[in-house]
Amino acid sequence: MQLDENLPTATATAAPAVSMKLLLRDAGIGIALVLLILFFALTTDHFLSPNNISNILTQITINLILAIGMTFVILIGGIDLSVGSMLAFCAVVGGSVLTIPDLSVFQAVSLATLAAVGTGALCGFLNGWISAFWGLPSFIVTLGMLNIARGAALQVTDARTIYSFPPSFNAFGSQMIYGVPVVFLIALALVAIAWFVLSKTVFGRLLYGIGNNEEAVRLAGHSLMTYKIAAFTIAGVLVGIAAMVYMARLNIASPIIGIGFELNAIAAVIIGGTSLSGGRGSVIGTLLGACIIGVLANGLILFGLSDFMRQLITGVVIILAVIIDKYRERITAA
Amino acid sequence: MNTNLAHVDSVAQPLLELHDIRKRFGGTVALAGVTLSVAPGEVHGLIGENGAGKSTLIKVLCGIVKPDSGAITLAGEAYAPHTPRDAKARGLQVVHQEFNLLPFLSVAENIFIEHLPRNALGVVKRRDMNTRARTALDAIGLKDIDVRWPVERLGIAHRQLVEVARALMTESRVLILDEPTATLTSRETERLFAIIDDLRRRGVSIIFVSHHLDEVFKLCDRVTVLRNGETVTSRRIGETTQDELVRAMVGQQLQKEMTHSIGSSARSETVLSLVNFRHAQSPHEDGISFDLHKGEILGIAGLVGSGRTELLRAIFAAEPPLSGTLMRDGKPAALRSPRDAIRAGIGFVTEDRKEEGLILSMPIAANVTMASLADVSRAGLLDQRAENALTEKLGADLKLKYGGPGKNAATLSGGNQQKVVLAKWLARKPEILLLDEPTRGVDVGAKAEIYALIRRLAERGLALLVVSSELPELMTLCDRIMVMSQHRIVGSLPRAEFSEEKILTYAYQGEKRQTGH
Amino acid sequence: MKLFKLASVVALVAATALPTIAAAADKPVVGLVMKSLANDFFKNMLEGAEAHAKKRGDYELKAIGMQNETDFESQLNGVENFITQGVDAIVIAPADSRAMVAPLKKAIDAGITVVNFDVSLDEQAKKDAGLDLAFVGPDNRGGAKLAGESLAKALGEGGKVVIIEGNPGADNAAQRKLGFEDAIAAGKLNLLDSRTAHWETEEANSVFSTMLTAHPDIQGVMAANDSMAIGVIKALDAAGRPDIKVVGFDNVSAVQPLLKEGKLLATVDQFGSQMASDAIDKALAVVGGGPKLEGWVKTDIKLVTTDDVK
Repeated sequence: MQLDENLPTATATAAPAVSMKLLLRDAGIGIALVLLILFFALTTDHFLSPNNISNILTQITINLILAIGMTFVILIGGIDLSVGSMLAFCAVVGGSVLTIPDLSVFQAVSLATLAAVGTGALCGFLNGWISAFWGLPSFIVTLGMLNIARGAALQVTDARTIYSFPPSFNAFGSQMIYGVPVVFLIALALVAIAWFVLSKTVFGRLLYGIGNNEEAVRLAGHSLMTYKIAAFTIAGVLVGIAAMVYMARLNIASPIIGIGFELNAIAAVIIGGTSLSGGRGSVIGTLLGACIIGVLANGLILFGLSDFMRQLITGVVIILAVIIDKYRERITAA
Repeated sequence: MNTNLAHVDSVAQPLLELHDIRKRFGGTVALAGVTLSVAPGEVHGLIGENGAGKSTLIKVLCGIVKPDSGAITLAGEAYAPHTPRDAKARGLQVVHQEFNLLPFLSVAENIFIEHLPRNALGVVKRRDMNTRARTALDAIGLKDIDVRWPVERLGIAHRQLVEVARALMTESRVLILDEPTATLTSRETERLFAIIDDLRRRGVSIIFVSHHLDEVFKLCDRVTVLRNGETVTSRRIGETTQDELVRAMVGQQLQKEMTHSIGSSARSETVLSLVNFRHAQSPHEDGISFDLHKGEILGIAGLVGSGRTELLRAIFAAEPPLSGTLMRDGKPAALRSPRDAIRAGIGFVTEDRKEEGLILSMPIAANVTMASLADVSRAGLLDQRAENALTEKLGADLKLKYGGPGKNAATLSGGNQQKVVLAKWLARKPEILLLDEPTRGVDVGAKAEIYALIRRLAERGLALLVVSSELPELMTLCDRIMVMSQHRIVGSLPRAEFSEEKILTYAYQGEKRQTGH
Repeated sequence: MKLFKLASVVALVAATALPTIAAAADKPVVGLVMKSLANDFFKNMLEGAEAHAKKRGDYELKAIGMQNETDFESQLNGVENFITQGVDAIVIAPADSRAMVAPLKKAIDAGITVVNFDVSLDEQAKKDAGLDLAFVGPDNRGGAKLAGESLAKALGEGGKVVIIEGNPGADNAAQRKLGFEDAIAAGKLNLLDSRTAHWETEEANSVFSTMLTAHPDIQGVMAANDSMAIGVIKALDAAGRPDIKVVGFDNVSAVQPLLKEGKLLATVDQFGSQMASDAIDKALAVVGGGPKLEGWVKTDIKLVTTDDVK
């Protein structure tokens, strides 16, 4: 007697076609990276030199770390616009601790790490809690945090740059292992941990679930608030780590660093194939996305393109990535 | 299905005539032969149960849906609109059940939205527009509404009348009113009926879609009954009775289906009891009270909007209940969230699979284990093997047809998707299962399997609370059926007293009492 | 407004006659419009001005800043607020050399003494608006030339250099780039590449390390501010190229250790902390009836090298 007029029944797609599509979907971004590398390798002199490769790896490290955190947030359908400001805040808090006189290097560095990561976690927690508790869009809440964290960083330092960190800490930032920057290895380890958390744990499963269908997850008896807060807090923790890496690499902490970094992090995540509407994507994609941005920034300089053209082309690539993302969405929906 | 034309008396000079309209959506037959003729100046009632095909028919008439076959003529000429605009140009208009008003624009702007009066520069002539809107509202007796108010400020009944006013702005030959009184109070209903009478005198034909038989008898000249997407009968109102129409809506054949009786597995222990239980939408202070027993299948019947879904959601604490007591195994239980409800051994198969039940773009296994992740993980780490094993075990149990636990839920047919939702709850081994329209969008074969499963669960001692708009479904499955109307339980029937007439009588009586007819 | 000015002149005259009593009530009000206070350079400048106000004690200082280097809207609003409040003088470091012309014209028409310091307003824009306004400030171009010349001296003719520029579109960035280019021409240096790093340490680090890959034969770097010079020096540390020489601009405190270690060859001090107070002095002189300022009143600049730190 019941006739359903709105739900045409879904039919199973043929299995081989699906796997072929999936392959194309997941490998697409990797193929793009390889093509980009090939292009610069053929058109410029030094692109594939060991020095330049380690340069690129150093250059993408901070963006990659921030983008890992951003992946968690975007996966649940949120956005975090405050990471750039939070980076400055975490750095000046960490930097202040790092320059406390009469501490051993070990003490200073561990306390500073604790302070920077703690600051990031606190800001991230507030982002998550405020948006989950009051049901506010994270876009607005983190826009607020963008100003709060920047203001706090300026207030704490009275707008002054902090420097004179322990020399061994400064040296750590440019350390290499077989030509690979140590800071990049740290970022890579974070990618591995994030991948594990997202794909192998109950927590990760529920983040994907929330991004796809919040109501279904809630009705399955899970507290949305807990997971949303956790995702933002993780993003904050990663900002704290990125702040330590920033200081190790550049040996200063200033309240005006990191302006606009959130946009690069978001770009890496989106280019990496994570859907802005949440629920789909991976941190491996984010790694590739960050690589594409880094390779592009580096390669275009080697190519001899002007600053303005460089910015223009980076913009084109971001838009292309989102178009591809749209196309991918259609493939999955089919 | 053959079109039963025997009862359809034709009109000498029909304005609108439909012949054998058919429409399928994928595997689902929505219209299986609708034949209908409407004379000029006639008010024609269109009735039928939920899903009988009324909405599809309206969509066909206003150009949203294209029929697969059949012929329509309007004033003697072939009529096949491609868009609602087309339909309007030919003089056919629909006042929809769901509102198409723009909440932040003014009443006047909404009335004129399609033809905003403007000057040579394209600037809207606001004063002119407001004056004309005033006249339009006065004409239908809405004198107490300022045309400059945003629609958002109006109550739901007034919005419905503004919608009517908008439709009246264009001269129509045929006006279709889809459940126009659902949101109106008796005073406003009277007002609407007066408008309809006036239109009738001006020679406009009206198709009046309604659940309320008393309204149909009061207003209509003729009435057509749809069942399973086809015209069952078409009668002059003076030549039929309410009973006859209800029988026509229900169908004899389906009544037979439930004659083979099944032994009840209901036991005496009460597992769930509600005392004056009330949720935010319930208008009654005394709320709802009933008991559910172990092994019992308790059905809830009622018209759309009678508060059945809201009741289930409140029991599951999907929306926190307002007041009253919920007793679980005889002890009061304060359930504040679905998590609490699940911990109390309650599962909830929601009405809307896609929005609330499943995560379509995630694997079947992930969907099956969504409510029981603790069972397939250790220290927060997912055990993929345990997950797949659980999925395969339940899949076999439910005769799930699927490509593998790793395939996305979107690859399944409607029936199999519903089985995945059931599997999700069975994985929790609940003691109470709430089912909202458990076979919506499910084909006949899967339906039978789901029925069998529900009975088996009851035999195992599960208590089931089933909401369904399909009376035969409830009558086949349930040990007891409660009828809801306007957020109240207006009747309760033990299995021995089941009959569609009785259920519908309760359902409509409740309506009548509320609307004051 | 005129009345206000008159009153303050009267007050000033009175103050000369009765030094102890009169001043408090009718002290002239100076509105100081700064650029981003989130920057050591302007921060120092503001603190210098505040100390100066306390020391002189014969005027009231009202200061406003902006959110960041490019946010000239808040400067615009600030100037308009000062006009409404009827301050006696506006002393401004304009964020945009063209956008600020119109509001300052308005201030002058309202009878307010305006002194433009730090960055000069665009000559053409001033002419178009019919605004005749002197500029009190350092010679960014001259300063950059000083720094560039010290690099040229260290490298000798034919030395290969790159420039790290400030924000494209910023007047001081353009002036400093011109100054570097002057030094390159004078010292017959070879300019390999010139790119912006938007005044930022991290970006300078990334951009320069890539430039170094493209041009491994770089011998010297001219950075348009010290923050970027820090990023460049860090890249040199990482690449193991202590042979490459770097000059900066601004003489911020964070480069002091680098000067000491010899990693930074030279930087330029524009005495920022005094620049605002100098401009205020000049404004008060005009308010007090002194002659109108004309043309470009240059403030001190000085090349700072390792020798100055030791």
